[in-house]
Amino acid sequence: MSIAPVELEKPDTVEQPDTDVPWITLVWNDPVNTMSYVTYVFQSYFGYPKSKAERLMHDVHEKGRAVVSNGSREEMERDTEAMHEFGLWATFRKDD
Amino acid sequence: MAHRKAPFKHSRAGVQVNLDDQEREILVHLLGQLDELLDDGRPAGEVDPLEALVGMRGTTDETPPATPDDPALARLLPDGNRDDPEASAEYRRLTEYGLRSRKRSGARTAAGALNRPAPVVLSSEEALSLMKALTDVRLVLGERLELKTDEDAESLHQRLWAGDEAESWMATASIYEVLTAWQEHLVVAVSKKL
Repeated sequence: MSIAPVELEKPDTVEQPDTDVPWITLVWNDPVNTMSYVTYVFQSYFGYPKSKAERLMHDVHEKGRAVVSNGSREEMERDTEAMHEFGLWATFRKDD
Repeated sequence: MAHRKAPFKHSRAGVQVNLDDQEREILVHLLGQLDELLDDGRPAGEVDPLEALVGMRGTTDETPPATPDDPALARLLPDGNRDDPEASAEYRRLTEYGLRSRKRSGARTAAGALNRPAPVVLSSEEALSLMKALTDVRLVLGERLELKTDEDAESLHQRLWAGDEAESWMATASIYEVLTAWQEHLVVAVSKKL
C-alpha cells in the first residue's frame, strides 16, 4: 500500500514497469521443521502436486532455500505471511 | 515411549488423539506458554480498533514494531525481507499483529480441544491449529536448545543419550524429541485429508 501521489507525467526515460518485475517468495532451511511438514505446507497452501512439493522441500533442505512462488509484491507478502503462520522461515524480494 | 497406537491417527470422524492424560497436560501447558510468549503486553483497550480488525498497525503509529529481541520470538515472527529494511518494517507493520493473534488463537483452539475428556477427536480445524502450534513450540524449544544447523538437530539424540549436557538442556531436549515424533504422526494424519 502506498500513499504517495500518483505520478501523472510519464517519465522521459523508458523504465521497466514494476508490474513486469516479478517478486518471489523464498523459503529457507531451518533445523526444526521436518521434511514431511514442509512438503505438507507446500501441498496444502500452494496446491502443488506432491512431486513438486517434495522437489521444493529437497531444494530447501539441500540448497538452503527455494523459490516457492512468484508474482506481485502484495501476493508475495501474502505468501510470506502464510509461510510465517505455518512456522516456515520465508522472505520475499524482487527477483533479480 | 511405547505407544501401542500412533499418538495421532486419521479417522472418518477426525484426528484421533491417542495420548494419555499426562501427555495431553504437557501439550496444553506448552501451548499456554506459547500463547504467553506471543503476548505483546498491550491490553486489548490500547489496541487501535482498526488494527484489531484488519491485523495491521495504523499508519499514524509512531513506533512501528521492530524485530523482537528474544531470538525465539524473532523466529516465530521473522523479518519478511532480508535486503531492504524499509520493506521489512512495512511487512512487519502490516502483518505482525495479525500473525500474533492468529498464532495465539490457534494455540488456544488446540489446547481447548486437548482439554476435552478422552477420547479426544480433533476436527480438521483443530488438527491444523495443533500442527501449526506444535511447530511454533518446537521452533521456540529449538532456539532455546541453540539448534542452528541440521547437524545440531541430527546430533540432538546422541547428545541426549550421552548425558553430558546440563540438566535443563536435557529436559528441554527430551521434550523436543517427543514433540518431534508426535508432530510427524500428526502430519501423516492430517496429510490423509489432502
